Amino acid sequence: MISFENISKIYYMRSHPVCALNNISFKIEENEFVSIIGKSGAGKTTLIKLLIGEEKPTEGDIFFMGHRVNEMDSSEIQWLRREVGVVYQDYKLLSSMTVRENVEYVMQVIGASDKDISRDVPQILDLVGLKERQENFPAELSGGEKQRLAVARALCHRPKVIVADEPTGNLDLYNTFEVIELLKKIHSLGTTVILATHNKDIVDNLKERVITLEEGRLINDQKKGRFIL
Amino acid sequence: MMVFLKRITKIAWQGISRNKGLSFQVFFIMAIAVFALSSLFIFRDFSLFLIEQVKKKVDVSIYFKKNVAEEQILLVKNEVAKLSKEIESVDYVSEEKAKEIFIERHKNDQLYLSALEEVGDNPFLPSLEVKAKSPLFYAQISQFISEGPFRDLVARISYSENKKVIDRLYRLTSDIQKAGVVFIVFLAGLVFLINFNTIKLTIFAYRDEISTMRLVGAPSWFIRGPFLIQGVIYGLASILVIDIFFGLVSVFLSPDFQEWFFGFDFQNYFYGKFWLILFIQIISVLILGVVSSLLAVRKYLKI
Repeated sequence: MISFENISKIYYMRSHPVCALNNISFKIEENEFVSIIGKSGAGKTTLIKLLIGEEKPTEGDIFFMGHRVNEMDSSEIQWLRREVGVVYQDYKLLSSMTVRENVEYVMQVIGASDKDISRDVPQILDLVGLKERQENFPAELSGGEKQRLAVARALCHRPKVIVADEPTGNLDLYNTFEVIELLKKIHSLGTTVILATHNKDIVDNLKERVITLEEGRLINDQKKGRFIL
Repeated sequence: MMVFLKRITKIAWQGISRNKGLSFQVFFIMAIAVFALSSLFIFRDFSLFLIEQVKKKVDVSIYFKKNVAEEQILLVKNEVAKLSKEIESVDYVSEEKAKEIFIERHKNDQLYLSALEEVGDNPFLPSLEVKAKSPLFYAQISQFISEGPFRDLVARISYSENKKVIDRLYRLTSDIQKAGVVFIVFLAGLVFLINFNTIKLTIFAYRDEISTMRLVGAPSWFIRGPFLIQGVIYGLASILVIDIFFGLVSVFLSPDFQEWFFGFDFQNYFYGKFWLILFIQIISVLILGVVSSLLAVRKYLKI
């Protein structure tokens, strides 16, 4: 489903090259739950940015369902982003829209009918426990609620893959547990989940595949992995 | 398409209604822009009206000798009238008519009337009053008369006396027109820049939202659309307010305007040219609102 082939990404900071990813290759199959772990600066976020076309690799190819991501034009990139739901650490919610409108917006983007939107949105908000907060604005939500809204938004259009980039980074233990449970539930419904994190407890409890990055290099890829850093 | 339009219009309206302060600022700047551009158009027509008024006051008089017969003068009249399409009118003023005009003009000035009585005989010469479309043409008329076959019939031509005034007037009117164009272009540019920067700042406030919209896969037109519609809404609201303002001014201040501005009938002018002014306003707000929004959003769509 997703394939990274010999991917390198070099940034230039004041014309000095900084290698964020160094010759990385791996594949992710459909309905996998993959944790990508590594210290801050290991390249986790860069990997996700490359996957959704926010950045282009310096070398190598990325394939998503047979399409070469690094050669996609603007409209193809937007198609890709509609196929991949992303949950960010800083939520990236639409602050001028209510909880309900944030979810509706993504469904409108994929061209869902008004009927589908009015049927699905309350269900999704119910699933993430935000039905009662649907007329609130993001600024009126707690950190955990914001992250649950971000998850709702990422899954509302039933994407093939959900990518969560440090989704629990700003959350307390209780909200962390809730968000991870939500991701597990989404995975159990047949969606591929990619979770980038540096939270040892989460990774160890998941008992799923773990890809470990260190200074831009892939140092470990285990089917039933543990946090080894 | 209808669903798309409905959705982006709803998002645009939400943007306006939920950011009233910011929306009012953009509307205010847009209204000033519409007012300034409409005023520039009106000013251009007013200056043309003014130039026409001044031109009307200038003419060339050809005075004939006392003994020249009316038929001969009328022959000259026909020849002058045929001289060019630039000739607007040629009027014959007989000695008697000239006297009547003098008496009428000075009916309240006993000194002039007594002086006329003193002279006894009619001292006025028959004349032709020639009006041309351009002040530039008076020199040609004067030359035609003073050097042509009728030169022996003519006592004097007022052009040489008024030459300086006519030349200055011509220079002045063409300078006003040129300066008007420069002024209009400069002010229109200024209005566009101010407006563009206001819209740019508004969209700058939404830059994080725009990048989020891109990251959830929104097509470019789904992101641009609401901003374009907002531009159109601000523009149309501005036109409505400014045209109501002009309408009220034309109703309540038109008589005063006529007095202050050399007989310029603003009410008649505004009603007569309403559709043209409206067309210019709509084109202006489309350029200001839509083009500004397009240019300002473009930068944030590159994610």
